[in-house]
Amino acid sequence: MFPIMQIGPFAIRVPSLFIILGLWLGLSFAERKAPSRDVNPTTLYNLILISLVISIIGARLLYVVRFRSIFTSNPRSIISFNPGLLDPLGGVALGLIAALIYAQYVKLKLWHTLDALTPLLAVMGIALGLANLSSGNFFGSPTNLPWAIQLWGTYRHPTQIYEIILATIILAILQAFWRRESAPGIFFLSFIAMSAASRLFLEAFRGDSVLVLNGLRQAQIIAWIILALSLWGIGKSRNQTFT
Amino acid sequence: MISLFSRHWTWFSLLILLLGAFWIAISAIPPGSPTVSEIYGPRQGFLAPDFTLQTIQGKSITLSKLRGHPVLINIWASWCPPCRAEMPTLQRVYQQYKESGLEILAINATNQDSRSGALAFIQQYGLTYPVLMDTSGDASTAYQIRSLPTSFFVNSKGNIQEIVIGGPMSEALLRVRIESLLEEQP
Repeated sequence: MFPIMQIGPFAIRVPSLFIILGLWLGLSFAERKAPSRDVNPTTLYNLILISLVISIIGARLLYVVRFRSIFTSNPRSIISFNPGLLDPLGGVALGLIAALIYAQYVKLKLWHTLDALTPLLAVMGIALGLANLSSGNFFGSPTNLPWAIQLWGTYRHPTQIYEIILATIILAILQAFWRRESAPGIFFLSFIAMSAASRLFLEAFRGDSVLVLNGLRQAQIIAWIILALSLWGIGKSRNQTFT
Repeated sequence: MISLFSRHWTWFSLLILLLGAFWIAISAIPPGSPTVSEIYGPRQGFLAPDFTLQTIQGKSITLSKLRGHPVLINIWASWCPPCRAEMPTLQRVYQQYKESGLEILAINATNQDSRSGALAFIQQYGLTYPVLMDTSGDASTAYQIRSLPTSFFVNSKGNIQEIVIGGPMSEALLRVRIESLLEEQP
């Protein structure tokens, strides 16, 4: 675990560095692959950039609106660099809406675009695993296995390392099948199905799962539903291709 | 192999989903198992590691004795510019929320600082909340401090609700987090 890198007076958050690095590498990778999915790389780059900028600004604005009484008396905090003053879910929702509007404006085809974005998402899966490893998030349950890591007071499953390994395998599979002819959307749905299966499997080793319904892990139930929907979507797209 | 999957996609999907459901069932956690909220650790959701430290005036304060009150633990040193920058804000919010039950414990990382430096700092900023001296560095070690300042927002049950590494914290951030802690109070 290595959450902070102190460089002089600056405390650099290592997990954020991994996310930025993943975004940069993933975006370069997606841009290179985009033409083979009939998507212009510059349009794809603009789509992501617009979505990111609107997400960040939107997350801050929504947070300010939510706690407006506090910000009215401290207006300078509206432009504070503090990442704690963000509404992440609201920001993501606004970013997605902005992406949809831009996609409509430039007439991007939905499934082709999602396929073109898949390399970025797959690289981000690895970056997220590295970010979790450095922050100590997504930690495992206690175990006596020889490969256990010492974290938060005891020896635990290295779930972050399992996450990195599975995300790398998913990226390798996608890379191997990239040139294979397939109906639009199958590539993206395959990534979603594999990621959901990976989460369903990994969650069993986590030490901080949210529990529902007499001890079932909430994330596994959500992952199972996403897996079912993506498998159904793949089946449907394949049938349409063959008929 | 791939063409076999292709021909029998529905059966393959059902098999995967069945295996998934079985995995969910066998990885369920039995009721009554310990949760992270019962384990001590310097991490969100865990119980805040306990400590007993002395104020600069020599009064002993134990964190666990403050259960029932939301506590903001701020670990700082007098030579650290962001620590200096956020102290007046901490003092202001303490004045505003102390009647509602808020406790602020400012732990001076004395093993990386000097007692005289800390004393001058307290007088300069007119701090009225307890300033504790971590002369051995045990509290900094227990809270795995890697950067100064670091602040821990602890709820009235003793669980860490949020950790803010670095500073200075804005007044809005402090007030939002403190009001959230106060709302949680029984």
